Amino acid sequence: MIKTWELDPGFKDEIMKEPGGEHLTSCYQCSTCTIGCPITELVPSYNPRKIIQMSLLGMREEVLSNPDLWICLICQTCTARCPQDVGISDLLSAIRRIAEKDEEAGKLKIESPRPLFDTAFLHTVEKYGRLYDIGLAMEYYPKREGSFIAGQKAMMKDYKDFGMRMFFKGKMGPLGGHGLLKGVLPSKIKNKDVMKKIFKWAEEKEK
Amino acid sequence: MSVTKLAYYPGCPSEATALEQHISTEAVFEKLGVELVEVEDWNCCGAAEAENPMLVYALNARNLAIAERASLDIMTPCSICYYNLARTANALKEDEKLNAEIKGIDSSLEYNGTITAKHVLDVLVNDVGLDELKSKIVKKVNIKIAPYYGCYISRPPGTAYDDPDDPVSMDQLIKLIGGEVVPFSQMKTLCCGGPLMMTRADIAYDMARNILDTAKSAGADCVALACPLCGMMLDAKQADIEKALNIKIEMPVIYITQLLGLALGIDAKELGLEKNVVDTKELLGKVV
Repeated sequence: MIKTWELDPGFKDEIMKEPGGEHLTSCYQCSTCTIGCPITELVPSYNPRKIIQMSLLGMREEVLSNPDLWICLICQTCTARCPQDVGISDLLSAIRRIAEKDEEAGKLKIESPRPLFDTAFLHTVEKYGRLYDIGLAMEYYPKREGSFIAGQKAMMKDYKDFGMRMFFKGKMGPLGGHGLLKGVLPSKIKNKDVMKKIFKWAEEKEK
Repeated sequence: MSVTKLAYYPGCPSEATALEQHISTEAVFEKLGVELVEVEDWNCCGAAEAENPMLVYALNARNLAIAERASLDIMTPCSICYYNLARTANALKEDEKLNAEIKGIDSSLEYNGTITAKHVLDVLVNDVGLDELKSKIVKKVNIKIAPYYGCYISRPPGTAYDDPDDPVSMDQLIKLIGGEVVPFSQMKTLCCGGPLMMTRADIAYDMARNILDTAKSAGADCVALACPLCGMMLDAKQADIEKALNIKIEMPVIYITQLLGLALGIDAKELGLEKNVVDTKELLGKVV
């Protein structure tokens, strides 16, 4: 049952203020997004149409704590098929960012490790200007597992075989003749100051 | 052939996990006589992990601006980089206020909208053109191929260059080089699962398995692709998928630039074909 007295009528405006969330109220609930979604096929609870309707109703808490927010692939199938140009892929991204802000403010606990992964990824970009896979994993796994040791174990479990494959195929490390420590050390851009400026600006814009 | 020189944006996977895509792209364009000028000091596009579009716009404004200063259209072999570059170009052209604000971050981010972003597959099929390619083909790639496009080549509508439900550019290229396109239309544009690889591997593996299995039952000798994240998922992680789901797939996965390179008579080693994780040696015997 929807507790009407707990609804947040300002939630839709909050979403529409976020870049990507602008077209929320164009949705007329046809469900084309959900019928064609490859995730819905695998995880039947996943229902972007419902997330949109709940957002329009102002069910802020239920929407932001919905674990399904974090299994969207951003594959753009919904966006391509939506007859109302809601831009659902970007809209869900806007909702995820609101959830992340709530978590930062201590109002919400996100169970999915996806924000940790995204953050670790972007940290390497901010630092080096390019993605550094090993740096990403070294930050992500310990944070996800809650300790350095547990993180190393989880990383080894996921990436030991993969790492060996990359090594023997000459994609990471000395084999193949593309540089002795290719992929092992970060690839850095020269103009690192501009990365700092870009990230600082984008962070300010998010506030 | 209208194109003779392009700015080349390799993208982060080109330096390690998708080295073979990078090598084969450079080799193919050299053979075609199109000069590629690497975007000097290029930075990461933010991939799918930068959920804040403002961050995407600022990161990609810099790469677009570097190419623009050289007066060259910017081409990338990665579908996600393509999406981010192309949507940034659109946003900065449409929104003067945003463009001015991004220019204000640093003068090196000044992009005036005079060049466009392109995906390698688009350049090959639509700019170099099938006729020009045909005139340079010296070998028949006699392989049954499942053409896999993934997400950003045909979606979303604002940046896509091929049909959203039934893209054709890769099919055309495969037929041109003498390959046989196996029935694969229901899988062509389905996501590989890559974005969930590190946070929900169970879902990601299921999606990748579905694509590889379908290619196998359609009788394909290999899957062709045009994105390094799809390559990571379908090729580099294939053994992990087999182990986790206790199945055997053993489906070679080859970048379209590698397949085209073979038809252009480029040596397999120069196309990095020994770097694909699932072995491709058996297929090379079918290039005649």
